[in-house]
Amino acid sequence: MSKTPEQPTLKSRTLTLTHEIPISRTKTYWEGLKEGKVFATKCKKCGRVYYPPQVDCPRCLTSDIEWIQLSDGKLETFTQVYLKPQGFTQYEDNYIIAIAETKEGAKIMGWLEEKDVKHASIGMPVKISAKTMPDGFTAIIFKPQNP
Amino acid sequence: MKTKKFKGIFMKRVAIIGVGNSKFGVRSDVTYPELAFEAFKEALEDAGIAQEDIEMSVVGTVGNRLYDMYPAPLINEYIGLASKGPLRVEAACASGSAALFTAYNAIASGRVETAIVIGVEKMCEVDTQTSTAVGGRGCYLWEFHMFGTSFASYYALFATAHMAKYGTTEEQLAKVAVKNHYYASKNPKAHFQKEITIETVLKSRVICWPLKLYDCCPISDGSAVLILASEEKIKDLGVQDPVWIEAIGFGSDTGSLTRRGDYTSLKSTRMASEMAYKIAKVKPEDVEVAEVHDCFTIAEIMAYEDLGFCKKGEGGKLIDEGQTWIGGKIPTNIDGGLKAKGHPLGATGCSMIYELTRQLRNESGDRQVPLKKYIALAHNVGMTGQYCYVTILRR
Repeated sequence: MSKTPEQPTLKSRTLTLTHEIPISRTKTYWEGLKEGKVFATKCKKCGRVYYPPQVDCPRCLTSDIEWIQLSDGKLETFTQVYLKPQGFTQYEDNYIIAIAETKEGAKIMGWLEEKDVKHASIGMPVKISAKTMPDGFTAIIFKPQNP
Repeated sequence: MKTKKFKGIFMKRVAIIGVGNSKFGVRSDVTYPELAFEAFKEALEDAGIAQEDIEMSVVGTVGNRLYDMYPAPLINEYIGLASKGPLRVEAACASGSAALFTAYNAIASGRVETAIVIGVEKMCEVDTQTSTAVGGRGCYLWEFHMFGTSFASYYALFATAHMAKYGTTEEQLAKVAVKNHYYASKNPKAHFQKEITIETVLKSRVICWPLKLYDCCPISDGSAVLILASEEKIKDLGVQDPVWIEAIGFGSDTGSLTRRGDYTSLKSTRMASEMAYKIAKVKPEDVEVAEVHDCFTIAEIMAYEDLGFCKKGEGGKLIDEGQTWIGGKIPTNIDGGLKAKGHPLGATGCSMIYELTRQLRNESGDRQVPLKKYIALAHNVGMTGQYCYVTILRR
């Protein structure tokens, strides 16, 4: 590393950014997670499935949507995170982030319930659910299924 | 006056008349306006003009790791262009190219005759975890919030899929890092100054499997500045033999990674390069020197393929054959690339043009690529293909 030698610096005043994110229109999704379920939206007019769920269909310009549950998928790709960003360093395990394609044709991100990334493979069938962790955050979980 | 016609629109020709680049690295010795000044001074002296010759200043910076939230006016003030800067441009890691595109369009459309592009980024004033978290918040609500994504994890998702589909190996990825560190060691402005071996990469600690420390670009501070002028202005200034911007192509893709078709290619790269090749009327095989967006080694492999330097899936073979070194088919990232020169987000796109301009002027010393057609290409990606710009230069 070509790090420059220690230089004098001035410490800035601390800025704390915590957002209150509106979820009134996607309440079904966030409440579903607490019950262990993962929902996508489907436009009642054109039938398109949206994940991440969106409550407005940009093609039909309609907000007439229904909620559908996603439960089964196949892994499309994955990685195991060793260098965790701020907000995730308290988790001891190096979590595996994966993307799965569901039978409804939606793609979804989740944490693969597997300790060793070497046991994961593309095309591996997974069961999609959600869990609430001890710190109160919820996460989508992919459980490997025997094909 | 010569014009270029694209989609029925006549555009004025635009050339690069001055370039500057600061030393990239952990620059805890300077504030961001001081850092911008380094590249600005060099570019102004290179062009041989003064502040009053510049009509418009476009600042390209992501800026989300700064203590200031509105940095452009303070940069313009510091370099004596306070009354010339109507905007700041942001397109993540492609902010420098987006700023170039903005300035280019202002001249090509006839609105102004000269413009300056200031690409700058300070990333090292916050700690690594904060920087990783800021960078990882590309899709907060549906990705970062639940899963703790980082940029390394995004590109790692592509690496896993590319390796599975095409048999690309960790050794091939490592070879990209070895090449780029080699050229960085010959570039005094690069963040890293040391050569590495395949072993160094393979034995380095895992960041996001399968990507290891040496597969990743560093977190760097840096600036790069470009001065552009119209053909008429060039004549007025008496500039001989400038470097012309033949085309800038653009592309974009979904913000959520889960809405992509696959994870082995960047669609926005294909879109931007097809557009640029069409406007410039050149083919990939005409390009003699390239700067591609190698924020991670897998990104360079995908870029070879998506830009048409080789067939899809054969990027690993291209680096195995040494075709992207000087003397190969398409010398790529001869300045060390993002991987080893460093990747100060807003500066990166401008720094690519800095390097290519100097290559096209035969000013690159022991890193000079032998040229016949004098055609160069810069490929700058924002995030994981959410934005892309491809610029073709010719002298």
